[in-house]
Amino acid sequence: MKVIYTIFLFIIAPTAFSQPLIDTINFKPVEIIDNKIPASFKISSFDSVSLQQSANLSDLITTNSSVFIKSYGLGSLSSISFRGTGASHTKVLWNGVALNSPMNGQIDFSLYPTLFFDNAELHYGASGLIDGDGALGGSVVLNNQEQFNKQTKITLNQIVGSFGTYTTGFKLKTGNALWFYETQLYGKKAQNNYSYTNITLKNNPTENLENAVVNQYGIQQAIYRKFKNSTLGTRIWYFNSDRELPSNLTRSELTNENQQDESYRALIEWKGLATKFQYKISSAFVKELLIYENNAASMYSKNNSYIFDNNINTSIYFDYKFKFTNNLNINYEIANTDSYAQEYNRLNASWLLGINKIFNSLSIDIFNRTMMVGETFKNLAPGVGSQLKLFKKEDFFVKANAGINYHYPTFNDLYWNPGGNENLKPEYAKMLEGGLCYAKSINQFTLNTEITTFYSYVKDWIIWLPTFGNYWSPTNLKEVENKGIEFALNLSTHLKKLNFMGKINYAYTESTNMNAASDFDNSVNKQLIYVPYHKLSSTLQLKYKSLQLIYTYNYTGELFITTDNNWYLPAIFISDISISNQFIVQPTWSISGSFSVNNIINQEYQSVANRPMPGRNYLLSVFINFTKP
Amino acid sequence: MSRLLIAFLVVFFFSSCKKDKIGPQCISCEENPINTTSNTDVLIVNEGNFGWGNASLSVYNKSSNQVSQNVYEQQNNGLPLGDVAQSIYQLNGKGYVVLNNSSKIEVINMSNFSSTATIIGFNSPRFFLPINNAKAYVTDLYSNSIQIVNLTTNTIYGNIAVSGWTEELLIYNDTVYVCDVTNNQLLIINPQNDQLVGTIPIGENPNSLVIDKNNKIWILCDGGMSSSNPQLIQYNPANRTIEQTFIFPIISQSPNHLKINANGGVLYFLNDGVYQFNITDSNLPNSPIISSNSNLFYGLGIDPANNDIYVADAIDYVQNGIVFRYNSSGGLIHQFNAGLIPNGFLFVQ
Repeated sequence: MKVIYTIFLFIIAPTAFSQPLIDTINFKPVEIIDNKIPASFKISSFDSVSLQQSANLSDLITTNSSVFIKSYGLGSLSSISFRGTGASHTKVLWNGVALNSPMNGQIDFSLYPTLFFDNAELHYGASGLIDGDGALGGSVVLNNQEQFNKQTKITLNQIVGSFGTYTTGFKLKTGNALWFYETQLYGKKAQNNYSYTNITLKNNPTENLENAVVNQYGIQQAIYRKFKNSTLGTRIWYFNSDRELPSNLTRSELTNENQQDESYRALIEWKGLATKFQYKISSAFVKELLIYENNAASMYSKNNSYIFDNNINTSIYFDYKFKFTNNLNINYEIANTDSYAQEYNRLNASWLLGINKIFNSLSIDIFNRTMMVGETFKNLAPGVGSQLKLFKKEDFFVKANAGINYHYPTFNDLYWNPGGNENLKPEYAKMLEGGLCYAKSINQFTLNTEITTFYSYVKDWIIWLPTFGNYWSPTNLKEVENKGIEFALNLSTHLKKLNFMGKINYAYTESTNMNAASDFDNSVNKQLIYVPYHKLSSTLQLKYKSLQLIYTYNYTGELFITTDNNWYLPAIFISDISISNQFIVQPTWSISGSFSVNNIINQEYQSVANRPMPGRNYLLSVFINFTKP
Repeated sequence: MSRLLIAFLVVFFFSSCKKDKIGPQCISCEENPINTTSNTDVLIVNEGNFGWGNASLSVYNKSSNQVSQNVYEQQNNGLPLGDVAQSIYQLNGKGYVVLNNSSKIEVINMSNFSSTATIIGFNSPRFFLPINNAKAYVTDLYSNSIQIVNLTTNTIYGNIAVSGWTEELLIYNDTVYVCDVTNNQLLIINPQNDQLVGTIPIGENPNSLVIDKNNKIWILCDGGMSSSNPQLIQYNPANRTIEQTFIFPIISQSPNHLKINANGGVLYFLNDGVYQFNITDSNLPNSPIISSNSNLFYGLGIDPANNDIYVADAIDYVQNGIVFRYNSSGGLIHQFNAGLIPNGFLFVQ
């Protein structure tokens, strides 16, 4: 507590350099034309402050949701576990394009700076079915938003932080009533040479992380043209990451591993709204290059994957209470790596039909997705949901939904040499959810709260197991039951000029293995590894005029790391604090700045065994905003 | 309401101020603690998961059937052994535990498992072979060398250049024989001057070797990833010739862990199940003496005292494994839990 007090003195007193941010992203509710999720399915969206406070998607989700991200360290690989499912069971979509690697089905959340999107949402459980196939846990939806007006907005952001962290961001949005133009530039370098206690050595010496340098840069460009009832545009996103991979703690000699990731993403989309008819036609190309090098072991591996993704999404509104949806996705994936005997490709098609009908206080949503992946068909992947408004004068809703989704084996599962298994079946998930939500606004006080209980049953879950011999091979062995409760609370109020906002997101997740790999398998009815029972994130935000204080507290419960639940990683509790202020220099431009202390109690923790995470660290961030009306 | 929330956060904040444990923690690793060994003990090497620091040693007493887990950590103030424990060797009252990812050899006092020294400077060490009381060879993956260790100072003082991956090794008649996995050959080294003096081409991927009572060396080659048929080779070091080659009929098989009984007349190896081969046999055995019954046998040991067969099953490799003890004709005597990924046995003498 003393620490906090010191920080208060330190920061509040010299308000000279404080500042704040806020609103440089100009967040507005966006109407996402093509993949709007009906209210009977669960989604949550991140607010603009959370986006701005987070360096990347990994931080954003960890700090502002009840979803768990497993991180190998600052700047290192971060993968998601959504409602107890595996890393490949969450789809990440960027303006409707699924970015998951065809090779391992995953996304490294540390490679997605928040600068590159205007809003982000989590789509829980069966709502992922509306976004596409493969989402057994849910999906993460990133969107950009174009605007057609004469406003020009330029934001320049410079961050300097502990462990040699320098991040520069630039954003330009301009245009007129017919055109929209946007450029985003991003660069980051970090030494990540933070110190930790090496508990694996005698006398537990303090060491600094070595071989952990991260260099990233990227650019996103967009041009959109507005026509009478439609918009045509293109967006290109290039991202390059070059990082060293620190060794795990138990290694006494450096391995000199490093990894380069290079992504090219190009999207062209045409979307519009005619009377009672809404459409979006898009075509995207994604290329991912991953190079892994291990100098100590003389290993070099180059992996190329390509996705050609095409969508035709249409909705017809018979009236505003009755909507018919018809979304068609066709994509073609290619992967090329030394780890396969040859280059492989696959043609996938996925077709969603849906109706949404509102009767007075009741809404009903029915969907079905038909999918074809390679030569396998799944005709029936339905989703149904319903929401009922309980009282006429209160925003109190009860909702329920259910769905079935399939996740097809990844190219690694099928073709890895050796071990790949071409006879794998798609993984299957049956999802159920029920919840209550309530919103209330009295005078200056607003409240939003939601409580959800979920159940999912996943079978034919693909796991890699050793075979007799020297290699591992995947089989459809695992059968898992996930159940839990999620709770969200948002409060805001103000006392005179002091604005107060509080948020809590909590999830309890029980994720148990139901199938024994052999007679002596002791993992049955045990919690899956790296799925915490408890995950809580909370934020307290105080704002006085342009001065803002944000405190976040995150708790991740114990993580089992062996399937018999005999080994675990201790619980993680992280508190961060940030203070910011904004100065209007001229009507057209302002400077804002923030100072943050992360992990203020300096907890030493790991979210992956023997991969230390950073202790207390500091970030100073300055924004220069220019707006020409 | 806001006050409630603040109170809630403050409580959380304070509750988190206690000093906590860091890193992997074990819930039940300290059953039946022991601090001495007897000559009826069997030490089980549990390799642990790569990078997780959870390799361990279990001790099984074959008279009392009592098992003690994690004996190294218990005797060394909770310090983890490291990972991946590849092999163990006993010499002059000391145990040499070879840990490949941790790139070290932990030298323990065999009477109480306390650490007496740590030999560092390896890349990814695999197997240990004492040449005499003062010197040992260690095969070391990715280093393109066999490291030479001074057993008095417990330091590496030299190496013998090799090309690629070398695995098990043995010494006979003042000559060292090494499985060269990368180049499909047997390396012959003169330990007097640490010079490579010869290479003998053999089958693909030689992984283990033993010497029999007639002073013939038997080498097991797994044949790679279905790239050739595995082979069991009999080599005569006296005249440097391969005298017999037994070819396994199925290319996808991958036999390993070649062991020999105490009198040097019977070979054992894993090939899904446990197979037994008399050195005078003229054909490979058709059926195992112990069937795997769809378990995944990962380690094999033959007790020199009574030829009991110890087999380790790593289950899914992410939970404590199990050890089966059979008599020499394959009858199950006992089974017990070990640590994570048991892969080898040391019969205390």
